[in-house]
Amino acid sequence: MSDSRNVADVLIIGAGMSAGVAARHLTDAGLRVVCLEQGEWVDPGNLPGNKPEYEVLGSGNWYPDPNVRRRREDYPLDVSESDLPLFMYNGVGGSSVLYGGIWARALPSDLRVRTLDGVADDWPISYAELVGWYQAVEAEMGVSGLDGNPAYPPGFAVPLDPAPIHRTGLTMAHGMNKLGWHWWPGTNAIPTRKYGEQEQCVRYGICRMGCPQGSKASTDVTHFPAAITRGLTVITRARVAEITVDERGLATGAVYFRDGQEHFQPASVVLMAANGIGTPRLLLMSTSRRFPHGLANSSGLVGKRLMVHPYASTVGVYDDELEDWLGPAGEHIGSMQFYETDASRGFVRGAKWSLIPVGGPLEAVDKWTGPTSLAEGGFWGEGSAEEMRTSIGHLMQWHIVPEDLPEEQNQVTLSTELTDSDGLPAPKIHYRVSENTRRIVDFNLARTLEAHEAAGATRSWVAGRNHTSGHNTGTARMGDDPATSVVDRWGRSHDVPNLYVIDGSVFPTSTGVNVGATICALAKRTASHLVEQARHQVVGA
Amino acid sequence: MTGAVQVLDDAQRAGLAALADTLIPGGSGLPSASAAEVHGQWIDRALAARPELADAVLAVIGTVPEPVAGLGWLADLDRSLADRFTFAVAGAYFMNPVVRRALGYPGTAPRPLLAAPDEAEFYLDDDVLGPVLARGHVFRQPPEEPAR
Ligand SMILES: Cc1cc2nc3c(=O)[nH]c(=O)nc-3n(C[C@H](O)[C@H](O)[C@H](O)COP(=O)(O)OP(=O)(O)OC[C@H]3O[C@@H](n4cnc5c(N)ncnc54)[C@H](O)[C@@H]3O)c2cc1C
Repeated sequence: MSDSRNVADVLIIGAGMSAGVAARHLTDAGLRVVCLEQGEWVDPGNLPGNKPEYEVLGSGNWYPDPNVRRRREDYPLDVSESDLPLFMYNGVGGSSVLYGGIWARALPSDLRVRTLDGVADDWPISYAELVGWYQAVEAEMGVSGLDGNPAYPPGFAVPLDPAPIHRTGLTMAHGMNKLGWHWWPGTNAIPTRKYGEQEQCVRYGICRMGCPQGSKASTDVTHFPAAITRGLTVITRARVAEITVDERGLATGAVYFRDGQEHFQPASVVLMAANGIGTPRLLLMSTSRRFPHGLANSSGLVGKRLMVHPYASTVGVYDDELEDWLGPAGEHIGSMQFYETDASRGFVRGAKWSLIPVGGPLEAVDKWTGPTSLAEGGFWGEGSAEEMRTSIGHLMQWHIVPEDLPEEQNQVTLSTELTDSDGLPAPKIHYRVSENTRRIVDFNLARTLEAHEAAGATRSWVAGRNHTSGHNTGTARMGDDPATSVVDRWGRSHDVPNLYVIDGSVFPTSTGVNVGATICALAKRTASHLVEQARHQVVGA
Repeated sequence: MTGAVQVLDDAQRAGLAALADTLIPGGSGLPSASAAEVHGQWIDRALAARPELADAVLAVIGTVPEPVAGLGWLADLDRSLADRFTFAVAGAYFMNPVVRRALGYPGTAPRPLLAAPDEAEFYLDDDVLGPVLARGHVFRQPPEEPAR
């Protein structure tokens, strides 16, 4: 079946965020790289954000839940045993098309939770080892922010000047100062001036529906076009069904379906970049006589330890007109005041806060009507117009991202009920919010309400909890010991030496920050290692 | 981007207007739902953007007995149906430029970042970051080697 003229040096499964970073690095190094992507390219003209009906459109075909979008390329998620739905985007750029662009490096303690807090596991690598990789991808992704954030080790600096913290950030900053709490101007992968392929941000504030301006760093803008000019092949509408292996147990390529036809793409090395859900799904689907429990799964940990950062939010109403819809969104300011463990609080680890523009009026109303909102009284009926007049444009919301610790029963398996449009089993999500995560959230919800009060809110309340973050990690964890991890410190499978995982699956713990920066840094690091070690790399038949 | 799709007949539009007015009776400088033509071109735009909401809109119009008064009918509905209906109505209402103007909401209009070269610094004037910097570093530095 395989055609030697067509053998890729490196085959990447998925063309999302991590794939873009790796593909550009590998093609820069002269390797012949092919990406197989189940979705399509985004046409910026189709993005809803700058259209009058954007809020309605953004709740349907551009909503981050694949079970709502239900496009052909969206494999369904069986969430019958999950406390919340999961988010992702399936197309070139992957979830970076719909992400908020909040750029957050992990902290040194994130990678040492066993040493410091006696829970879960340390990462096999340290913050010091990651810093250079963060800097490299920050330069590739037009990251803007203010240097010197004291929540990070000295030397934290990003390439572009910060965006204005706006009236929202300033109002909240005064409140945080009253309380003596940490805050810092937002760090976002959203450029404050034209930067390479990225246009200057025009503050639509709809980053989470895709950026019609081509400003936010999604890899379909920042990475794939450059890689294609250097010879990268991206095959869209290609749904991978199996990673194949030879009799020595080495990966040989991938079987995929395109418009109902089965194809085979041979490769010397395979990189999994299909998201923390899609990667374990595909490894579990890739069974063979040699690997009856799925590929790279001798530890039994493929799919296990799923972490998703179920986040929470509070909202405050302010007398002043705040233009609360104005981007970048992104965060206007962030806080790490309650990030590090303080055992007296009754939990370990903590949360990052982001002050994020509320968005348009429909999103504002959702602060009252959302399923887990604790707003008193309803929104509709007599008085609804007065509520609109006094609140739309006058809101601020804190998003609280809690660290979610790994537990083996939180996992991705294969559904026996649902299949995708090619008849392949859907992933089944087993996820329950843990007691520690619940306590982190409760504590931080209470503190953000205090922050609203200090900042002068006339009213504030819990707008919701167990919101879906799109931070899907942990399902093919990295570690030094093959008995307790799926991949090694470079992302290479312990079992299959020419198979690597470069997406969020490799996180041993979830960190308490938005995960995109760390995913990109790790993808760059693995790609660089591959290039350096190319001469020693064993390859499949 | 989406052409007008008219899934509602005149009687259904009248029913929608009555229901929508109980949600948004107006006042405080804002029009009621029917005065804002929620039941006219704006519901058509909303349903063109998300055609799958039409079932919920039609179902609610068809099940709530007339005449409607107060919000009791909303509480009697299945939560998911009620949410989809109110979302469609609110989505239609907030699309109307008259409503947006009355709310001071410009829609997603481009505004350069930075609007003025020193806009970012402007918000950080008066040493607002001073107290944060004065407190110094707030992170924990772990020992370098991982525990095994
Ligand atoms: C709504 C939302 C908001 C977010 N906000 C932020 C934020 O502000 N900051 C932040 O840091 N992070 C944020 N995230 C998270 C971040 O976007 C993701 O963590 C990141 O994009 C994951 O990268 P990845 O490479 O692991 O996977 P993805 O970027 O999801 O890419 C995976 C790709 O693989 C493809 N694929 C999967 N299975 C197959 C198959 N069988 N065959 C072919 N192709 C396949 C998919 O179609 C997809 O394109 C957000 C995510 C979402 C959804």
